[in-house]
Amino acid sequence: MIELKNVSYTYPNTVQPALHQITLSLEKGRCMMVTGPSGAGKTSLCLAASGILHHEYGGKKEGSVIIDGKNVTDYSSLSDLGQNVGVVFDDPEAQMIFTTVEEEILSALEHRGLSAAVIEERLAGIMKTTYIEELRDRSPHNLSGGQKQRVALAATLALGNDILILDEPTSELDEHATKRIADILKELKSQGKTILLIEHKFGQFREMVDTLIVMENGRITSGGIPDTVLTDDRIRGMVLPDFSMIKKNAKAAVTSEPVISVQNLTYRYGDVQALSGISLTIRKGEFVAIGGENGSGKTTLVKHFNRLLSPTSGNVIVNGKNTKECSIAALAGDVGLVFQNPDHMFFADSVREEIAYGVKNLGIEHGDVIIDAALRDAGLTESAGLYPRWLSRGERQRLGIACIVAMQPSVIVLDEPTTGLDGYEALLVIDILKKLQKKGHTIIIITHNRDIAEHCADRIIRMESGKIVSDTGDA
Amino acid sequence: MAEILQYVHKDTFLHRLHPYTKIASIIVVSVMCIIATDMVFLTLMVLAMLAVAAYSRLLAESLQQLKLIIVMSVIFILVTIITMPNGDIIGYVIPRGVPLIGGLIPITAGGVTIGIVLTLRFMILIFAFQLFLISTQPRDLVNAMEKVGLPIDYILMFIIALRFIPTLQIEGQRIHEAQLARGFNPGTGFVGKIRSVAPIAIPLVSNALLRSNVLGLTIDMRGYRTGKKTLVRERVLATRDYAVMGILAVATCGFVALIVAQMV
Repeated sequence: MIELKNVSYTYPNTVQPALHQITLSLEKGRCMMVTGPSGAGKTSLCLAASGILHHEYGGKKEGSVIIDGKNVTDYSSLSDLGQNVGVVFDDPEAQMIFTTVEEEILSALEHRGLSAAVIEERLAGIMKTTYIEELRDRSPHNLSGGQKQRVALAATLALGNDILILDEPTSELDEHATKRIADILKELKSQGKTILLIEHKFGQFREMVDTLIVMENGRITSGGIPDTVLTDDRIRGMVLPDFSMIKKNAKAAVTSEPVISVQNLTYRYGDVQALSGISLTIRKGEFVAIGGENGSGKTTLVKHFNRLLSPTSGNVIVNGKNTKECSIAALAGDVGLVFQNPDHMFFADSVREEIAYGVKNLGIEHGDVIIDAALRDAGLTESAGLYPRWLSRGERQRLGIACIVAMQPSVIVLDEPTTGLDGYEALLVIDILKKLQKKGHTIIIITHNRDIAEHCADRIIRMESGKIVSDTGDA
Repeated sequence: MAEILQYVHKDTFLHRLHPYTKIASIIVVSVMCIIATDMVFLTLMVLAMLAVAAYSRLLAESLQQLKLIIVMSVIFILVTIITMPNGDIIGYVIPRGVPLIGGLIPITAGGVTIGIVLTLRFMILIFAFQLFLISTQPRDLVNAMEKVGLPIDYILMFIIALRFIPTLQIEGQRIHEAQLARGFNPGTGFVGKIRSVAPIAIPLVSNALLRSNVLGLTIDMRGYRTGKKTLVRERVLATRDYAVMGILAVATCGFVALIVAQMV
C-alpha cells in the first residue's frame, strides 16, 4: 500500500538531510511502527509516506513514494491524496475546526460524495468505534488530551480510507488513555486497515505491530519483525527502556526537615472540587513521584507550591513561609515548576538567554557561572547559541529544566518530564534529576509512567479525584 | 473561563431558527440602530435584545460582555465630551474650584447625548452579533455562507478565527503561568504592560504558527476546499422563520411610518 524507494529529503535552508535513503514497504492490512529519538526524522517520514512532503514542501527531494500503486506526484492535490490516505497529526487540537465533536466528524464525512443516509450510518459507526458517543455536543477545548486524540482519529476515519498514518497519537496521554487508542487501532487493523504508526510506547502496541522500524539521524538503523529487532540491546534500551538500572540515591540524603507542608488543603473553582482535604509533608532532599489518572488533581496540587493557585481553605507552607503571605515572584526562588510543554516558556533568541531570563528576574549574583553550570548539567553546553525552538523535543525538555535549575530553587517540581521522549532521552532527564537530588534539591515529579515512579522515586504518592489515596513515604 | 463568542449547545428558539432568518434580523437591527438617534428608541431596542436573550436562555452568556461594554461606553462618552462639545454646559471635567486649571474641558449636554447614543448602538450591535454566533452551529454558518456564494477559503478563515479564541485564551493562560514560575514580574501600569508582552506573545504566536501548519494540512486532506459536498441535516425555513421575518417586516414598516409621521 505504501512504498518508499531511496527517499532522501532536505528541508529548505538546511544542509543536513532530514531523511536519508529511506526504503520501506508496508503491505495491505499490516501495521508498521516507526520509533526513534526525537529529531530523528519520524515526522518527516510521516509527511513523506502520506505524500504531503511532495505536494506541500520545498527543499531537496530524491527517490519515489508510491501509495496504492500510484506515485504520489501523480496525485493531483492534497485532497486527492486525502481520498486514499488518512493522516492523524501530532497536535489534535489543530485538527478540530468546528465547535462540537459531532459537527467535526459530520463535516469530514460530507466531503466524500456519499449519500445522506450512508453519512448518518457511518457517523454512528465511527463514534462507536472511537468511544466518543458521549462527547457528541462537547467543544474541543473542553476535552481531555485522550478525548481530543480520539476525536482527531474519528474525523480521519470519517474519510473512509484504507491507509492510516498516525504521528505520535499517544504522546501526551496516560496509560489508560493510551490503551484506549491501542484498542481502537487493533480493531481497525482487524477490519483490514493498513496502519503506519509513529510511536515511542512499543510496549502498549506490541500485539498489533508486524514490522518495527528504528530511525536515527534521518536513517533507518534497524527494521524487521519486532522480536528480531529487539535482540539488539542498544535498540531494546531505546524502545523498551529499563529504568530498573537507575540506582536510588542513598536514603541518607533525605533529612527530616520539612520543605513543603500542606495542611488540609482544599481547592474549588466554580462547582468543581479539585482538591479536598490534602495534608502532606515533603522533606528536604526527597525524590517524590505523584501519580494518578488525568484530572485527578496532580497539577492543581503542585501549582499551590509556588502559589500559582491559592488554597480555597487550608495552608501551604514552603520553607517555613505561608504561601498566602508571599508573592509568586518571591516563591520562584524556593519552588521551581517545569511545565509539561516546554514550548510554553521559550521566547529568547538563544538557549543561553533563555536560561538567563529567570536568573535575571531573581537578581541572582554570579549569573554567568550558574548559567554555565545549568547548561553543563542539562548537556546543552554546545547548543548554548542556538535558537531554542530549533532543538529536538528531548533537548527542549532539558532546556526547560535548565531554565528552572539556574534559578536555584530548593524544590524542583516537574510535570510529566518524560512525555514524548524515547527511552534514552527519558533516562537522560532522570539522570539530571538524580544529580540535582544529590546536590540537595528536593525533586517532585508528576508522572504517568509507573516504571519511572517505582525505580527513581523514594516516595510515591497516588491521587484520585482530588484526594491522596496512597503514599509510600507517609511515615 | 468565559468563552468569548463560542457556540453554546442548547435547544432554544434562537438555535432552531434558520441562519438566514438570523442574518436578516441582524441586518434589520443593525440598520435601525445605526440610523436611529432617539435615545428612548435605542434603549427600547437594547431591552428588546435582552428580552430575546432571556427568552432563549442565553442571558448569562450575553451579559459576559458587560465589562467590555462599560469600558467602551466610558471611552465613548469621554471622547464625545472632548471632541463634540455642543449645547448647554452642564459641568466641567476639572471642577471650576480647582486653581489654575479649573473649568478645563466643559461637559456639554450635546456631547453627553452623542456619547450615550453611541454606547446604546454599540450595545445593540454587540448583543445582536453575539446572540447570532452563540446560537448558530459553525456548520450551519458555513452552509449558509456557502449558499450565499461566499468563497470557502474566507468562510473557513472566519470560523477558524472564532473557533481558536478559547484555545488561545487557555494557551495564553498556561504561558503566563510558565513565565510566572520563572520569576516573571512585569509590574503594573503602562510600563508593566509593555514589558509583559514579549515573554507571553512570542511563545503564543510561535505555537500558533506551528499549529496553523497542521490545521492547513488537515483542511486540505479532508477535502474541505474541494467544494464538493453532500448536505446532511440541512436546515429548512420553517414556520417560525416566516413568523420572525414577518415581525421584522412589520417592525421595519413601523419604523419608517414613525419617521414619516414625525416629519408631517
